[in-house]
Amino acid sequence: MMTILIVDDEPLAREELRRLLEKEADVQIIGEAANAIEAIGAINRQSPDVVFLDIQMPRVSGLEMLSMLDPERMPRIVFLTAHDEYAVQAFEEHAFDYLLKPADPARLEKTLQHLRRERAPQDVRVLKGAAELRQIPCAGVNRITLMKLEDVEYVVSRPAGVYVVGEDGQERFTELTLHTLQEKSTLFRCHRQHLVNPERIREIRFQDGGLAEILTLGGHTVPVSRRFLSALKERLGIG
Amino acid sequence: MPVEPFSLVVSLLQQMCVYLVVAYMLSRTPLFIPLTHVTVRWPHKLACYLIFSVFCIMGTYFGLQIDDSIANTRAIGAVLGGILGGPSVGVSVGLTGGLHRYSLGGMSATACAISTVVEGLIGGLVHRHMVKQGRIGPLFDPVRVGAVTFVAEIMQMLIILAVARPFDAAVHLVQVVAAPMIIANTLGAALFMRILLDRRALIEEQSSAFSAKALKIAARADGVLRSGFNQENSMRVARIIYEETGVGAVAITDREKLLAFIGIGDDHHLPGRPITSPQTLQAISNNQVLYADGNEVAYQCSISPHCRLGASLVIPLVGEDDRVIGAIKLYEPKTKIFSTINRTLGEGIARLLSGQILAGRYERQKALLAQSEIKLLHAQVNPHFLFNALNTISAVIRNDPERARQLVQSLSTFFRKNLKRPSEIATLGDEIEHVSAYLQIELARFTGRLTVDIDVPDELRHARLPAFSLQPVVENAIKHGTSQLLDAGHVRISAARDGDDLLLTVEDNAGLYQEKPAGDGLGMTLVDRRIRNRHGDGYGVTVACEPDVSTRITLRVPLEAVPA
Repeated sequence: MMTILIVDDEPLAREELRRLLEKEADVQIIGEAANAIEAIGAINRQSPDVVFLDIQMPRVSGLEMLSMLDPERMPRIVFLTAHDEYAVQAFEEHAFDYLLKPADPARLEKTLQHLRRERAPQDVRVLKGAAELRQIPCAGVNRITLMKLEDVEYVVSRPAGVYVVGEDGQERFTELTLHTLQEKSTLFRCHRQHLVNPERIREIRFQDGGLAEILTLGGHTVPVSRRFLSALKERLGIG
Repeated sequence: MPVEPFSLVVSLLQQMCVYLVVAYMLSRTPLFIPLTHVTVRWPHKLACYLIFSVFCIMGTYFGLQIDDSIANTRAIGAVLGGILGGPSVGVSVGLTGGLHRYSLGGMSATACAISTVVEGLIGGLVHRHMVKQGRIGPLFDPVRVGAVTFVAEIMQMLIILAVARPFDAAVHLVQVVAAPMIIANTLGAALFMRILLDRRALIEEQSSAFSAKALKIAARADGVLRSGFNQENSMRVARIIYEETGVGAVAITDREKLLAFIGIGDDHHLPGRPITSPQTLQAISNNQVLYADGNEVAYQCSISPHCRLGASLVIPLVGEDDRVIGAIKLYEPKTKIFSTINRTLGEGIARLLSGQILAGRYERQKALLAQSEIKLLHAQVNPHFLFNALNTISAVIRNDPERARQLVQSLSTFFRKNLKRPSEIATLGDEIEHVSAYLQIELARFTGRLTVDIDVPDELRHARLPAFSLQPVVENAIKHGTSQLLDAGHVRISAARDGDDLLLTVEDNAGLYQEKPAGDGLGMTLVDRRIRNRHGDGYGVTVACEPDVSTRITLRVPLEAVPA
């Protein structure tokens, strides 16, 4: 059984693809997402085998979204696009699966056959736009705010989720995991539940018992655990 | 018969008056036109010679018989012939008049013949001197002409004393005739020149006709070259100039070749030929008016040695940035003088035509630009939009074939309006219809995520604005605005009157406007530029953005009266 997530911001487009996929016996659609934020959450929680991913979506494109996924838990991607010559050219070049909208059932069948044989994820970093994480999508009440990496002071993981904190001290929820952020960005792990931006460290206050505390440029404090202190010193060249 | 010297002066002056009356009468005829200019050309010299020879002989006839000599005004013809025609004409006139006098006999016959030739020569030498110095104007100065004649007459007296025999008789003769002849000839020559000057002024006075001519050419040639600086239009303009100025021939060239030629010599001056005339090439490369009158500046047709054209005026046609784009050329045949009127007129015509060509180019460029911008807007029909629309319809067909049919209808309306706008100007009603078709598709695509309000008062639906003004703005509001929201987007389109202007507002609730959205935004820039081009900088597109709350795009165009 192949588990599938459909990601497209147009409801009718999702419906169309769902109808086509439902006919397949060995396919199970485990969810739909209308934007990158929903999609990242769904992928992190449900670990689908395959994601049918629309490229053009609000604020965070499908390609950019790929830079926000945990590289170790990357699903197989089938790109969806209505028209994007450059992207299609890149897919062809690097042998990625893709479908043009409106999808041709025969073409979809071919893609599925290919997926049945070949389900290992591909290295999406070869695709322009999917390689580098530049900003972190944070979900507000009704909108996505994109926080630039250099504006991030630290990231904290709480039971309710991962939060990004900027100079203003406000905690913004993000679907990205701590692990993804650590792998994909220059944010540095300083504590089991904290990442800090090394560029925004004002001072490190050493405490008893091999612990320390970071004061950021924005005046916030971030704890440093014994386990990560020496690596942090090394990273900052003060070891 | 003893003669009172004083009464002889009066009598000779009377005779001179009759002589001048004849001169005056003749000056009203075209015969005198060649005499109003200093000339080096043989036909003119010949005319000069003939006319002054007649006057020279006439001077002898109008003389007073004194003993067997004649007190006369022959010197006037000889001196003037020399001054206006040069030494050769002067000597010829002198010789003719002198031989005529010689044939009448008398003790002073030989002396008179010789002195007349010398007088002609003096006039001629003065001519040569002044021409060499490039001072032609003073040759026509009556006072100078009088002075020259005065000197020439004294010379004549000396020659009589030297040549006539017996010497006693010669002395007596000179005593009697010296005063009357010197006075009468000096005065006569000066007055004769005055008559010539008046005649010339009369010709120049025809320049009152000049303005009329210039205006007529301007009116007839108006707009001809606007539609293109090519052979056909140049030929039409050349014909107009030819007919109105009456010059021998008219040519128009671009920088390389002859575009039009009409008049004398059109058998070998063929349109399409490359320019060969050094004057024309020089005029074009130096942006300089060149006049080859055939006298001071030699003129020879560069194509045929037998060409009858004898003088040319080349005036460059000047385009953008003072760049020469061609030349206009006026010609006169060898048998005709280039009138100052036509010279001035030529320069005026060239300015007129330059302006026209420039205006034409500017207009065509503007039209081209407008056309290409419309094409760009067409091309802006986003393929992404098209395929997504088809994808949407494909999904709708399953559930709701009737709805799908309506969407196909909207899609075709949208494309039809895109492809087939008859004019550059549309009514607001048209624009709303275009946008509505577009919105039907977008509403289906973003079901549940997009709502649109259109609030346009009926009385404004006839307002006119550049076609394709509204749709790109609405598309922008959706593409870079509401479609970037996670929840419901809202777009409001409204029209209102503000004084004499129409305000068209498109507002979204995204507030994501950025000065330069990645990749496009060209559509909006074009809308703004087209409105500004058409109506001026007081109109166009303005943007008000409250980040994350709303973006409001306002189009301001003047409300024009709609022709009934």
